[in-house]
Amino acid sequence: MSMIAVAILAPLSTTLLILLLRRQPAALAVLGAAVGLLGSLGLLANAFNGLSQKIILPGLPNMPLQLVATPLTALLSTLVAVVTTLVVVYAVGYMKKDREQARFFATMLLFVSAMQTLVLAGDWVLLLTAWEVIGLSSYLLIGFWYQRPGVSSAATRAFLTTRSADLGLYIAAFILIANTGTSDIATTLNAGGNTAIAAGLLLLLAAMGKSAQTPFTDWLQRAMAGPTPVSALLHSATLVAAGAILLIRTAPMLPSEVLLVTGLVGGITTIVAGLIALGERDLKRLTAASTSSQYGLMLIAVGAGIPLAALLHLIAHAAIKSSLFLGAGVFQHSRNSTLLTDLQGVGRDRPRVFFGYALAALALAGIPPMSGFFSKDAIIAASLLSPNVALLAPLALAGTLLTGAYMARALRILWRGEAKPSVTAGLGWMGAGMGGLVTLAVVLGIAFPSIKTLLNAQLPENPIYQYLPEILGLAAALSGLALGWLVPMRRLLGPLLPWSQRGFAIAGGFDRLMVQPAFALARACEKLERGLYAAVLAVGRSGLNIGRAVRRNDEQGIDGIIFSFVRATINLGSKARTLQSGLIHRELAISTVASAILVFTVIALLVY
Amino acid sequence: MSIELLLALITGAALLGVGIYGALSQTNLVMIMMGVELILAGAMVNLVAFWRYLHPDNPAGQMFVLIIMTVMAIEMAVGFGVAIARFRAKGSVEMEEATELKG
Repeated sequence: MSMIAVAILAPLSTTLLILLLRRQPAALAVLGAAVGLLGSLGLLANAFNGLSQKIILPGLPNMPLQLVATPLTALLSTLVAVVTTLVVVYAVGYMKKDREQARFFATMLLFVSAMQTLVLAGDWVLLLTAWEVIGLSSYLLIGFWYQRPGVSSAATRAFLTTRSADLGLYIAAFILIANTGTSDIATTLNAGGNTAIAAGLLLLLAAMGKSAQTPFTDWLQRAMAGPTPVSALLHSATLVAAGAILLIRTAPMLPSEVLLVTGLVGGITTIVAGLIALGERDLKRLTAASTSSQYGLMLIAVGAGIPLAALLHLIAHAAIKSSLFLGAGVFQHSRNSTLLTDLQGVGRDRPRVFFGYALAALALAGIPPMSGFFSKDAIIAASLLSPNVALLAPLALAGTLLTGAYMARALRILWRGEAKPSVTAGLGWMGAGMGGLVTLAVVLGIAFPSIKTLLNAQLPENPIYQYLPEILGLAAALSGLALGWLVPMRRLLGPLLPWSQRGFAIAGGFDRLMVQPAFALARACEKLERGLYAAVLAVGRSGLNIGRAVRRNDEQGIDGIIFSFVRATINLGSKARTLQSGLIHRELAISTVASAILVFTVIALLVY
Repeated sequence: MSIELLLALITGAALLGVGIYGALSQTNLVMIMMGVELILAGAMVNLVAFWRYLHPDNPAGQMFVLIIMTVMAIEMAVGFGVAIARFRAKGSVEMEEATELKG
């Protein structure tokens, strides 16, 4: 059996199994995720041996559905599977007290199988399908606790925002298919000229929606209403990563104009989202804003024309960000809150978890020798080599600085304060999942050289001075950490504080630009609907009136005539009955007289 | 027209008149039936007289009379049957009392 099939079908069949059995969902989920991981590792091993696998399924005419395991897709598939497995292990503990475990784990694994399909898809049709399923299952997962206030609106907002941006992907895919006549992704990437510009910009729009780039950042923070393992998965390897993965896969096609736009979008996002994260009052929302910011950095790398750097950061970020979320989930269980004011000093309750969290935070900030250092430096190096170095490099460095600042602020709040020891169920499972991810976050840097050889790509060296990016990046990270730890957030943000706490009014702007027209449209539609409803009712009422008139006609006209005939006949009969007296003599006399009259009449007629 | 035929017709008419009178004046079922017999007898006398004096060579007239006599016998049998049944049930054959068939 093909490893591709294992990687996709293991989670999918686990979903079905959980829904059918409704028993032991956690154990089944861990098993399914582990089998899927084995499949992905098999793909990766094959890729290292220079084998690439391909499955062609029947699809649209001349556009078969394809699943390909190139080195890049095998690597991404492994990433998804590893993060999934560890997050599912963590979720066993996190969801211990929840009554609807079956629904949770089933949706999680559906999500994962869709993500594997997306990553391994070799043609646009399959990619679009997987993209849709991801949107659906993320909606289901964000809205998992749908009874809680605000959760369903957060899920709807996430769904609608990403769906609107998804239109870009649709149009881009149609443009590419129409211009190249094939749905094979690798072939369509050869498209050039205006096709590439239009499709590239639309793909960028789709990626911006999914990866929560400015101005689509808002939904990601609201999506924190979902369970924490969902956030971990969503932010590291699946939903949000899908946008960056899309751009990384299509990067060879993007012309320089699109690359510039991509880099600028990423740069703006990394600054804006970084400032939002710095001003956040909620740990999970802070982490979410940080995700937007980190994906902004990846977009800078793509925009600089070196997608390898973005890929490395994607991989490192997957491990780091899921570690951070898993840590946040433990803290959340300890204090039953995610507000930073409630979480003060929670690190002292759970020192080991805090240690892991701190390692991940430092890795995200880019401190050597952890994975984030290498990936972030790759991005800074890429921005320095870009033709638009003057635009991109400062943005990347500022993003790094902000990363250090908000992570240091979070660490400081979590550590400073009084410990309030509490008992949390399922800590063992959570610790196991988080431990695995933190280990990855720390040591993943070792694997980067072999990833480069696997993909047969190298980061170009800086022509001015070989270690320039490392020095700049480290300086930015350290100064960011120092600022975040030493300077209070209010002073740091200064006049920007109210802006950042309102998310730079991006959500408000969106409300005015998109939501209110949508509501107005909905109201107009409702009015139209009411008109139609009234018209339909009027038609119905007139029909009813016609029916009533017909009925009256029937009852009083036709029935009346018939009944009057009947009545006349009855009257006649009762009158005729009086002749029948039963007295034979009378009847004989009548007969005799009548016969006599008859005879005389006949004779008279005959004679005259 | 011969005198014999006229005499026979007068006899028939007399029989008819007596029969009608009897049928109308009597209240006993048996007497009423006797009146009916007389009516039929009058009719038969007429038939026989017409046959005898006008078409003596056509036997159909004779046959007609014989059929009427047969029918009279049957009618008597049925009529007396009804009378006996009535008598057994009610102890009387007075027709003034039999008004059950009133409409």
